[in-house]
Amino acid sequence: MSPAAVPGSPDGAPGPWLRDIAAQVSHGDVRELRGPLLIAGSAEGVGWDEFATVDLDGGEQRHGLVLEVDRDLVTLQVLESTDGMSLGGIGIRFQGRPLHLQVGTGWLGRVCNGRGEPLDGGPPVAGTDLRPVSGWPLNPVRREPPQEPVLTGISVIDALTTLVRGQKLPIFSVPGLPHLTVATQIAAQATSSGQSFRVVFAAMGLTHADIAYVRDRLEERSAAEELVLLLNAADDPVIERILTPRIALTVAEYLAYTEGHDVLVIMSDMTSYAEAVREVSAARREIPARRGYPGYLYSDLATLYERCGRIKDHDGSVTIVPVLTMPAGDITHPVPDLTGYITEGQIVLAPEIDARGVYPPVDVLSSLSRLMRSGAGTGRTREDHLDVAAQVLAALARARQAAELAELVGAAALSETDRSYIAYQDMVEKELFNQGQAELRSLEDTLGRAWAALAALPEQELTMLSTALLARYLPRQADRP
Amino acid sequence: MTALAPEANAALEPVRKALRAAAEEEAAGIRSAARRVADKELEAARTEAARILATAAAEGEAAAAAEAAARSARARRQAHELVLGARTAVRVELRRRVREAAAGLAEDPRYPELMTRLREKCHELLGPDAVVSESPEGGVVAVAGARRLDLTLPVLAELRLDSLPEAGAQWSA
Repeated sequence: MSPAAVPGSPDGAPGPWLRDIAAQVSHGDVRELRGPLLIAGSAEGVGWDEFATVDLDGGEQRHGLVLEVDRDLVTLQVLESTDGMSLGGIGIRFQGRPLHLQVGTGWLGRVCNGRGEPLDGGPPVAGTDLRPVSGWPLNPVRREPPQEPVLTGISVIDALTTLVRGQKLPIFSVPGLPHLTVATQIAAQATSSGQSFRVVFAAMGLTHADIAYVRDRLEERSAAEELVLLLNAADDPVIERILTPRIALTVAEYLAYTEGHDVLVIMSDMTSYAEAVREVSAARREIPARRGYPGYLYSDLATLYERCGRIKDHDGSVTIVPVLTMPAGDITHPVPDLTGYITEGQIVLAPEIDARGVYPPVDVLSSLSRLMRSGAGTGRTREDHLDVAAQVLAALARARQAAELAELVGAAALSETDRSYIAYQDMVEKELFNQGQAELRSLEDTLGRAWAALAALPEQELTMLSTALLARYLPRQADRP
Repeated sequence: MTALAPEANAALEPVRKALRAAAEEEAAGIRSAARRVADKELEAARTEAARILATAAAEGEAAAAAEAAARSARARRQAHELVLGARTAVRVELRRRVREAAAGLAEDPRYPELMTRLREKCHELLGPDAVVSESPEGGVVAVAGARRLDLTLPVLAELRLDSLPEAGAQWSA
């Protein structure tokens, strides 16, 4: 450190720290503290969305984002809330720009809190580039449609709702179901063909037991430096959750578009995120829309989900799997409802399937991957994949009708064909859908199981499969169980 | 009831033999059927026992594998955290030394010039009415109303350290 490096000195190159000095000005005129909000006066020249550091009397530091500016009055959203703060002795240092994050490969293998600060005892994560966490809007014409599959090793997802590189595919669940186990299994097992694969896991509002499970389960990937873990626990500051997915996506975008990796971002649980948005909105006394969520929840969620995708002339991709719990299983709740408008399909978990002991309890007839055609089939997975998936689903729909009929008239009164559909449903659930929580199934294995289940049906029922495919893949009568 | 005539005994002998043979045959049939059923039950019980044993062994193996994986994961994590902890310690030490060294810069011949520039900077940022005073740690502290600017040497040193392009590179190596 040389004093000659002070800005303005003859040989001192005006580096980025010129702004840092301006950001050292501490504002002490705090007018009001209200929940997560702090109102400061005499703060001229402060802009919207600026990041700020709040110094308290005892040396404690908190962090905030500027929500609103009215002449020299600034409304600051304090991430750690204003609990325990008093009007005197507060100094606010505005950074002069929105929150920026150092991004780089140094994030891989690290465990940080929801604000990106290390939890693993290490130094702050250093990077090679500085990026705003709100992300740069992407020129729509530079986008490329999602393509090629991301294989999760989970049969029911790979076979019937294939995840595609660059897609956003949420998991809809209700409290009490193993959605976190499924999401963690996806994070632990997912790969894409031929590309290096990285995972960013953003946990929001999880219990400490859940966090311990996620850390243990993903340790392998973390040790291999393929994973970034951002953890916001249930007892961590709620407002911090607003930043967590943005930090995750900023890191993911760097890893994808600069480093050329295929990156999967898992965000669990987005309902907790939306609740944080609601809390801030209520503190700002905005007019609430459905269920107290703000009217802009849709566009807010879109600013997150729309950061996935692929870009022309870049190798990598960002794929997003948000997990959201539907309070009381209500799919019309604003969070799943608005999410469904933005995302490309959904994987729905159902309590009645979980009660039958099937893991993962995916309700395949309500689930859909809209981009599956871009990720499965000839040249991507296997020639028979799309037809088999269609046949499995069609047969399950028929099996559901047969089961309803059986409840009315008794199984004995059903036709031979209907009985075979019921046997098929049983087999498909036990052999294809049901899977170990640490079991990684290859696509060949998965499709083989699908064909084995289809073999329980009379051949003339398999109308969605060509004779060529039937001849090649359908197990012969002698091999059938 | 009268006894049979002595010659009747001889005449009934074949009947008795036939009845006895039939009874014995039926008994043998029942016996062998019972044996078959018993064998079948035994076989089924053995198969069931073997299945239970195999399931239990598989479950035990899976549980042990999961436990071993979890243990090795924890051990690896602890090792990783040790390395990270050491890096943090080095970083903290470096910052401490930089702060110390910065305080010593007040003796540098270029210090008065630096002070002039820092004062100018304070007035530029807080306005001409700002009260600028020299800090005992070196450098200046300026106050203008509710605004305060801390440009003491240790603070400047830390700012500079953070802004270096290679900042942090030494921690990730």
